[in-house]
Amino acid sequence: MLKCREIVSNADQLLDQEMSRRQRLGMKMHLLMCRHCRRYVRQFSVLLRAVPFMHSEASDAEVSQVMEHIHKHDTRES
Amino acid sequence: MDSDQLRRLKAGDQALFAETVRLHHRALIALAVPIVGRSEAEEVVQNAWFKAHQAIDRFEGRANIRTWLSRIVINEAKMQLRQRGRELLFSDWQSGEDAGDALAERFNGSGSWQSPPVQWETDTPESLLMRQDLADCLEQLLDGMPINQRTVLELRDSSGFSFEDICNELTLSASNARVLLHRARSQLFQLVDHYEETGQC
Repeated sequence: MLKCREIVSNADQLLDQEMSRRQRLGMKMHLLMCRHCRRYVRQFSVLLRAVPFMHSEASDAEVSQVMEHIHKHDTRES
Repeated sequence: MDSDQLRRLKAGDQALFAETVRLHHRALIALAVPIVGRSEAEEVVQNAWFKAHQAIDRFEGRANIRTWLSRIVINEAKMQLRQRGRELLFSDWQSGEDAGDALAERFNGSGSWQSPPVQWETDTPESLLMRQDLADCLEQLLDGMPINQRTVLELRDSSGFSFEDICNELTLSASNARVLLHRARSQLFQLVDHYEETGQC
């Protein structure tokens, strides 16, 4: 039977869908019986899905700078 | 990005392109900084946006647009290094303090939870980041994270690269990449869990 520590170590691979069927089954058996690990995996999954949005949006000034750079080079190359 | 937005981008919709810049620019800067340094990251990403603008016709929409943009940034950053006669040496990226696995001390000697996770108030990615003070805590943590951990996290969880691609891009073994990613993610989890319990970073 897997220990809670192993569930946490292997949760990355579980959520990245990089586990064999046998490994997944071992995780599921433990998760059925352990509410702490169920909570960990559920919240960890929410966290990973939030990572792409952790960067704030660029400011108007940054966007303008990029667009000006593009159009300046476009003009040069056309 | 849906198919209608992709069609508009390819048709040259500049307002939509500008919105795409707004959404992804800072993530791309965060990706370039570890490779070329903060002072050159801006220039690299500017050049990458120019190339993306020129090549948008060739973007088929099969990959996430951030993944596609990230590849352009990495190529541009590597080209910049070559032009400066420098190399990408991932083994040198040991800045920042590596405290090991942030969750290691939460288990007892037999491997069971000693200090289990608390119940978080939020259960969606959107609501997690709605709290500005938590978002600020996360930003602070990311800024102080060892560069190699941060880069693997950015490539995998923000840019959507596969493990194989990460290992190829950074000349890194799969086991090493997994350890770095796990440590980065554990720090994020530890921070959010602590915040949920105490209301502080």
